[in-house]
Amino acid sequence: MNKLALSAAVAAAVGLASNSFADGPIDGTIYGKINVSVVNTDENSSDKWKLNSNASRLGVKGKTKITDGLYAVYKAEFEICVDDGDCKGQTFTQRNIMGGIRGSFGTVWAGKHDSPTKLAQKKIDLFNDLEGDIKNTFEGENRVSNIIAYTSPTVSGFSGTVAMIPGEGADVDGDGIDDTGLSDGVSYSLSYNKDNLYLAVAGDQDVDSQDLVRMVMQYKMDNLKLGAMYQQNEDNQGTKDESGFFVSAAYKMDKTTLKAQYGFIEDDVDGDEEETLSLGADYKLSKNTKAYIFYTDNTDSEVDSADDEASSFGVGMEHKF
Amino acid sequence: MNSTGAKLWSGAFLSVAMLLSGAANSSCDFDTDDADGPDFLDKIIQCEKQQGSRDKSAKTSRANNSAQITKLYGDGSLTASGIIERPVAAAGTLNHHANQSFVARQPYSLRPDAKFEESVTIAIQKLHLEMAHYCARGWDMQRQWTEPNGQQQGDFFLHYQFRCAGT
Repeated sequence: MNKLALSAAVAAAVGLASNSFADGPIDGTIYGKINVSVVNTDENSSDKWKLNSNASRLGVKGKTKITDGLYAVYKAEFEICVDDGDCKGQTFTQRNIMGGIRGSFGTVWAGKHDSPTKLAQKKIDLFNDLEGDIKNTFEGENRVSNIIAYTSPTVSGFSGTVAMIPGEGADVDGDGIDDTGLSDGVSYSLSYNKDNLYLAVAGDQDVDSQDLVRMVMQYKMDNLKLGAMYQQNEDNQGTKDESGFFVSAAYKMDKTTLKAQYGFIEDDVDGDEEETLSLGADYKLSKNTKAYIFYTDNTDSEVDSADDEASSFGVGMEHKF
Repeated sequence: MNSTGAKLWSGAFLSVAMLLSGAANSSCDFDTDDADGPDFLDKIIQCEKQQGSRDKSAKTSRANNSAQITKLYGDGSLTASGIIERPVAAAGTLNHHANQSFVARQPYSLRPDAKFEESVTIAIQKLHLEMAHYCARGWDMQRQWTEPNGQQQGDFFLHYQFRCAGT
């Protein structure tokens, strides 16, 4: 059987299965985005031009009714590399992929997914997936494998998520013993979201070798959107004990949105510091398409050594579908 | 994975994607970045509920052999309940779309602490305002149903499907 025929057969089998065995309607939706930018990066006085794909992606998500008020929910999202088609040696790389059961009790879900701590950030990072992405400065921005989570229903604006991450034999807490339990790593978030205010407290225990607590705030006033985050984290080897803050602001004027953000984090163990500053503007071309321009300066300062500084300037476009 | 395997899986993935795209709903309010948001589960449920309503509407439409049903919700401002809703049509701005069918919905609450503005009485009043707005010369009610609001226990959506009179 040639490859094309086999692909079609797989697709047909999936479609047949959907039609034959589903109790409720199968509602699958394709979604995604293309985000490309041309960027000049000057790193320690050496500059180069790049075309970046910025986490362009293709996904499928949906729900299937099991009984009244009970649904199977799913999402499978893959990164596509628009710049050179090479996503770490593959055509697609896995992003957030999960399946779960949703009822009046909440949602139990599992898969490979952004941790509750990362989700709690709620896009206060205005330069997400670009050079100014806060993952380049702050810990806690993790997409975790083998995550098993429970998300509560929203009650009076309050919602919570707690996730367990089995170590599956890895030494996740760095004590020299392989971890084989169900909750070797834990991530949680508690959030309040009502009207124009969003507040969240989130944390990790032995996730990506870090114990971490972060607090997030977002507030919208007419055309102005403000975000702030405070975070403390330490690694489980005792070699890092960081605390820092992050602030962002976006101001919308018709089709243009002006954006700025700044973050700073300091390591109390060795005095190292990291700093990020980004300025930029988005111009909305249509409901789903925007052009943007940005400047980012990221600085890593180590005691007794020269600063490691990288500044980037870029223009790009994003189209969502 | 070798290149042959990668191409094979890519082809299979795209084939499945093409199949599923037949069920995709371009009018859904789901933003791509919502997939990575803290309330991504709510977004999936809300979005697919709209699709479910569309599917039901389509079946009714075929049965009645009438024009396509227009959904009147999901394209407006954020309500206190956290749902994107179209504002209720103002009284006095009357139109008539002969033989055209619509589905409107309004949230209401049966929680003990619900305010009067959240009562089913107000929901019905708002639905009648909407029906009068789109069908100034009268209408017939085709169907009504209620769905729970997944965001808060005790909250519901009352749906009216109606068709404007032919004259």
